[in-house]
Amino acid sequence: MAAEKNNVWEMTLSRLDATMDLLKIKPGMQKYLRQPRKTLEVSVPIKTDSGSIEIFKGYRVQHNTNRGPAKGGIRYHPDVNLDEIKALAMLMTWKCSLVGLPFGGAKGGVIADPTKLSANELEHITRRYTFEIIDAIGPDKDIPAPDVGTNAQVMAWILDTYSMDKGHSVPGVVTGKPISLGGSQGREDATSRGCVYTILSTLKVMGIDSTDLSVAVQGFGNVGGNAAKILYDLGFKIIAISDVSACLYNKKGLNPFDIEDYFKKNKTLCGYSSAEELPREEIFGLECDILVPAALENQITEKNAGGIKAKIVAEGANAPTTPEADKILKQNSIFVIPDVLANAGGVTVSYFEWVQGNLSYFWTKREVNLKLRDIMERAFYETYKFSSEHKVDMRTAASMLAVSRVAEATSLRGIYP
Amino acid sequence: MLKKIECFIQPLKLDSLKDALIDAGVEGITISEVSGFGRQRGYAQGEKPNRNVKFLPKVKLEIVVDEEILDDVTKTIVKLAATGKFGSGKIFILPVEDAIRIRTKESGISAIT
Repeated sequence: MAAEKNNVWEMTLSRLDATMDLLKIKPGMQKYLRQPRKTLEVSVPIKTDSGSIEIFKGYRVQHNTNRGPAKGGIRYHPDVNLDEIKALAMLMTWKCSLVGLPFGGAKGGVIADPTKLSANELEHITRRYTFEIIDAIGPDKDIPAPDVGTNAQVMAWILDTYSMDKGHSVPGVVTGKPISLGGSQGREDATSRGCVYTILSTLKVMGIDSTDLSVAVQGFGNVGGNAAKILYDLGFKIIAISDVSACLYNKKGLNPFDIEDYFKKNKTLCGYSSAEELPREEIFGLECDILVPAALENQITEKNAGGIKAKIVAEGANAPTTPEADKILKQNSIFVIPDVLANAGGVTVSYFEWVQGNLSYFWTKREVNLKLRDIMERAFYETYKFSSEHKVDMRTAASMLAVSRVAEATSLRGIYP
Repeated sequence: MLKKIECFIQPLKLDSLKDALIDAGVEGITISEVSGFGRQRGYAQGEKPNRNVKFLPKVKLEIVVDEEILDDVTKTIVKLAATGKFGSGKIFILPVEDAIRIRTKESGISAIT
């Protein structure tokens, strides 16, 4: 397990090195971009419900802040480790840069299992963790957001702790807040909506102007579920939806709204009547036009990549495709919309939330969605143009574009003092 | 961002203008024959206006374009619709919130390209 964990950081670095070599970035700048700017490791002691003292370990890493304040989620998970947080912080730098948001990248985490903690204990962990990193965060410095194991309530506690310390309310210190505390309209389905916009742009550049296309969605959580619903509303035929329990399949099309109702009642997809039930792995081999992996990392591997029949893979999840599988998809001329682009809708609406909070002026859902579309389309077409001009795939184009912008900002600012 | 151009020109200028607009990247134009007056109240250069306005025939063009090509399009209109005299016309630029192509349900820029 430890070796695998180290791998995340090593793998991220080796991908960065390859990108920097393609961009012919000078060795000094390469060294600069490989390192996180700030790494905090903190102890988070709390008094548990039973009255005993427990110590948790927390991290906050800011990778690069030359394009703006750092931005990134905080995760609560037993497998959290510094290498993973460093890698994810760096990926946030590239994502914000690619989409053109004025942010750098950050990530944080606490080694804790929220499913085994009471709400009271989670609140204590959150408040003490916030206090321990309080000098590093702030609306102009570093703005946390929800991630694995954290949610709007956790953000509300961070907001409150930070605001109490400063003596006045500072809603811009976090995003992903409840709407009643200054959260943005449209954040709930922002990642999915952004992903759908990149799919529509892909169809446009392929010259396909019909929505009479079949879609398979892997994952029925926030990203997969909402993506299926939005695509269904646009007239796409959702032929398969899978989650940890099963893969539902119907050649004639599924209704994701109906499936959602079933899932809410039964907490599983198993037993849903209007579909065939397949082993969940089979979602990757189905005859379809578009595949949306929207579950966990490393789902498309060298084992199943060869069987993918879709023409377009839109990576709603983070890192769903292994590097080996990526090569196979490329050989088979499958158009991959890389994660850094396909799932950037979430951080984009986070940016909108931060802007709205700083202005104390709030937008309607329609305004948010139209602005999101503008940003996603621009990012897509910039990446597509770069990929055509430099004859590289979309993933390589996205990394090159993102890293070159950060390198340019870093070089323009120079080295202090 | 989508922008709508509404412009009013001398009818004789339409023919040369339409091809130049297509070259500038315009994908669709709606025209209508209209009449109107401006600051000159419909009187020709040199004529002395009195209280009665004169409605003169004009052609109105409605064009929706992406912001990217807006400047090229307006420059083309200014260049080709100019007569050197009063009454050459006007261009108005309006923000467009959204567009939808009915057949495909495509929206935004995709609906007009």
